[in-house]
Amino acid sequence: MSQIPTIETTRLSLRGPEPQDYPDFKATFTSYRARFMGGPLNAYESWMLYAAEIGHWDIRGFGMWMVHDRVTDETYGMVGGWQPAKWPEREIAWVIWPDKAGRGYALEAAHAARSYFYRQQNWETAVSYIDPKNLDSIRLAERLGAQRDDSAASIDGNDVVYRHPSPAALSGTQLAHGIEMEIGHYADPLFKPEGWAID
Amino acid sequence: MLIPTLHTPRLTLRAPVESDFAPFVAFYASDRSKFVGGPLGREASWRMLAMEAGHWTLRGYGRWIVEENETKTPVGLIGLFNPEGWPEAEIGWDLFEGFEGRGYATEAGAAARSFAYDTLGWTTAISLVKPDNTGSARVAERLGCRHDGDFTHERHGFMHVWRHPSPEDLAEGGMEAYA
Repeated sequence: MSQIPTIETTRLSLRGPEPQDYPDFKATFTSYRARFMGGPLNAYESWMLYAAEIGHWDIRGFGMWMVHDRVTDETYGMVGGWQPAKWPEREIAWVIWPDKAGRGYALEAAHAARSYFYRQQNWETAVSYIDPKNLDSIRLAERLGAQRDDSAASIDGNDVVYRHPSPAALSGTQLAHGIEMEIGHYADPLFKPEGWAID
Repeated sequence: MLIPTLHTPRLTLRAPVESDFAPFVAFYASDRSKFVGGPLGREASWRMLAMEAGHWTLRGYGRWIVEENETKTPVGLIGLFNPEGWPEAEIGWDLFEGFEGRGYATEAGAAARSFAYDTLGWTTAISLVKPDNTGSARVAERLGCRHDGDFTHERHGFMHVWRHPSPEDLAEGGMEAYA
């Protein structure tokens, strides 16, 4: 993989992880935030994992993007495809830095990443492996239209498998429209409070 | 990033690819890997392979898979290594099971060092070797290194630091002296 592709969305720019983004990655992966992703890691482990996130593109031809703000360029997290040796299937994965959560960035980025894999790389399905205690992540999987698939193999029995809607189920459907509407509302909220609520 | 390919009389140093996973698993399952953080299972071995490729993007250099020219068989993992927490950039040589004793580590290690000095402009380099890894220490000696202190890593433990001859030392002594 000589070149990792770039994806632009309404608010975000998804690019290959670069050396200068490493401190942001390290801050999250050495923190409690990483508890559902094999962490917290020490400094050496976090560097080795960051290198592996990049090298995943070389080995598999797909991988994780760094999610940037399109305007300010600051990073919000990483989203993309992930399949190390033990993963039964290709996964759509996400991690958002703890102080950037709750703004719909993971939804917007994961929806775009999934579309890329479906359209550009011809994936016919994808899963997300989620720790059953990671309720925020389960909720995101459901907002992306994924459904729990107990018939699919999990990584090691400590995770639950969420099956993403197929490419056909995301093509001009009510589901696709709903996801895009939710993303649209984050980017340009219908309800814009002015001043302070008084009651 | 685009990983360069190097050639020596008997070997090719090339970028890691997906098919290197099997030799990686075998190496990290073998006793030989005990000097370099092993043994490791399949999953950890895969992540090491991906890490080797990503190392190039993060540092602008990294380790190559070394292949025998004649057989196209991967025989080792050799090159420039500098993860977080390393004392400085090192030249490393890990030969896979069954390929030791042929001078491959010395041959590929010298090529990696020439790349570091001539292409990247390094002015010095070290190699970290566990004290009981006598085979690796002999390679360091053949490459002209001197024992230059010790280093203890939180994961890899106590290691000897071997200092390579500088580019000037090599020019004075003649490249042949260490090739």
